[in-house]
Amino acid sequence: MAERAITIAFDVMGGDHGPLEVVRGAALLSLESPHLHALLVGDAEAIDQALAETRHNGERISVQHAPAYVAMHEKPSAALADKPEASVLVAARLVAEGEADALVSAGNTGAGVLAAARTFRLLPGVRRAALASVYPTRTGHGEKKDPFSLILDVGATVEATAQDLVAFAVMGAAYARIISRNPNPSVALLSNGTEAMKGPPRVVEANQILAGHPGLRFVGNVEGVDIPKGTADVVVTDGFVGNVCLKMLEGIGETVVELANYAYASRLSWRLGLAMLSSGLKQLKDLTDWEQYGGAPVLGFDRLFIKAHGRSRARAIANAGKVAAKAVSSELARAIQEGL
Amino acid sequence: MSLPDRIDPHPARHIYRWDLDKTYLQTDFDSLRQLLKTALQKASQKTAVPGAATLIRELGASGDSRLCIISGSPVQMRNVLEEKLKLDGVEWDELVLKDNVRNLLRGRFRALRGQVGYKLPVLLESRVHAPVDAEEVLFGDDAEADAFIYSLYADLIAGRVEEPVLTKVIAAAEVYPDDAARILEAWKAVARADPVRRIFIMLDRLTPPAYFSRYGPRVVPVFNYFQAALVLLGDGLLTPAQVVRVAREMVQTAGYNLITLSNSFQDLLRRGLPLQAVAAPLIQALEGALQGPDKVLAALRPVPDIVNAFTRRVAALGTTPPLPPAKEVDYLQLLDDARPRGARARDKAGKGARKSG
Repeated sequence: MAERAITIAFDVMGGDHGPLEVVRGAALLSLESPHLHALLVGDAEAIDQALAETRHNGERISVQHAPAYVAMHEKPSAALADKPEASVLVAARLVAEGEADALVSAGNTGAGVLAAARTFRLLPGVRRAALASVYPTRTGHGEKKDPFSLILDVGATVEATAQDLVAFAVMGAAYARIISRNPNPSVALLSNGTEAMKGPPRVVEANQILAGHPGLRFVGNVEGVDIPKGTADVVVTDGFVGNVCLKMLEGIGETVVELANYAYASRLSWRLGLAMLSSGLKQLKDLTDWEQYGGAPVLGFDRLFIKAHGRSRARAIANAGKVAAKAVSSELARAIQEGL
Repeated sequence: MSLPDRIDPHPARHIYRWDLDKTYLQTDFDSLRQLLKTALQKASQKTAVPGAATLIRELGASGDSRLCIISGSPVQMRNVLEEKLKLDGVEWDELVLKDNVRNLLRGRFRALRGQVGYKLPVLLESRVHAPVDAEEVLFGDDAEADAFIYSLYADLIAGRVEEPVLTKVIAAAEVYPDDAARILEAWKAVARADPVRRIFIMLDRLTPPAYFSRYGPRVVPVFNYFQAALVLLGDGLLTPAQVVRVAREMVQTAGYNLITLSNSFQDLLRRGLPLQAVAAPLIQALEGALQGPDKVLAALRPVPDIVNAFTRRVAALGTTPPLPPAKEVDYLQLLDDARPRGARARDKAGKGARKSG
């Protein structure tokens, strides 16, 4: 049976590499996935210039002009108030109106989340949306044995209640089931100890509720050390802690690379050692390549928003589009709603 | 003054010239296996590019046109190709195929893949016998040198190309002397006119459309024949109802839908083709077709959605860009396009190797 046609709205502006990489990503998608259509939202002239030079399938791409955009450094609420025709807001509106099925943006995260909050509806039972992120771990997860776990929230909701944390757990589990093809993902709460009574009152309360939740495989609390170990498939926390954790993981990764570079430059013996390890390191890099995973989903709305990394190149953008399409075709929103 | 031997009661007012492989027929011959498969296919196994057969039939419906097909397929395939065209209800006036066995036997190996030395003399010789005022629309693809050859042909008969330029092109394309002589002879015999209105290039390889801007706005790269039909509607060569029939075939045979059709329409607008005015009559024709018992078109969507899809694609752009101005094509700068694709690839690989060396 032919796959259902799905349209992904891409906020073309605002990424670190400008419109070119997003247009190239959408072009790639138009060549690789016949059932996917890209709706490119942004400066029509810039999009056309990029598109004209890029191999693409014009039958699967359309353009919506948006005269403004939110830059990375801008304060989201003020920027969206000043620019009602900003590309991310226009794209979100098109998704809300049914012109597209999901939104992908590599631009300002806050503006994207705010645009989604203003135009999409929260699912019944969800009080606050959550930004989820995949991160590399020591163990494989799901059917594909991929080395990534999911952590949420990483910044959409700074202060979460116990009910919010429970909703995040349900949303994260649904996402892992559908996108990571993990039929029964393990879910854990991030705390300062594995005992159920450890942590602030909201975490303790959430632990009690989750322990009795029939639709989840709740494995209790995990500590920070368990995050890179991959003890759980889905780690639940509030946006403040989640964001700190995520940035720390990124920082560690960058520091390791810097140390390796330092070692490479310092001594011949270290250089030789690194050269011998290079194929293994390359494999490791491929395994943990965030570009393969496209971006971070914002969960909890009736429509899906995938926040692609600001540094995303074409391949990462195309993958973000594929992840969004998979979530749409698998009816992620309905799965979350049923879980709640 | 002597009268011509025969006066054609219905001289052609329009001539449509088509390539076959990858333009009319969906053909894969990029590998030896695909080539063999193509050669052994029966007529019923061959598939036309969606919309192509209907477009040809609709263009011929006025009764004052000629269909001239020139293909690089070998003459041994004539029966199969003729049968396929008949199966599709396509009536042709000329069908020229390539005699590659003869080329092989005579040791003319360059001619096996060469395009300029084969197509240019055939086009010019055909034009010699055409009415001076007959306008032409040409259809090719991006797999070989069609944009180059068709543009050169158009500019040759319009008198925009000088003999030294043509000579250099012939040399660069490694055309054999007898074919070169045919080109020059036919060119000199052709009555000077400027009849080529459009050159459509089917983007079989999805070459970026901007690649063809070097040939000016006369060359229109298209992703499908709905786009070609829209441009021909704008040019007054088709009616809205005929365009709807082309779309209908594409919906029926290749699963085109409202999104792909309206995206195709917007794609042309974004390239500066002034087609805003055709949207309304086209929608009207679609509405008219939907009044009847046409189940294929009815499967598209309800009429308001059709209206919405097309008008929204126009409105979405704000202002549309202007069509790039026509400019003289510098064939000497584009000589690389005149050479067989294989030779181009080999040259590029050689240059790359020299650079890295």
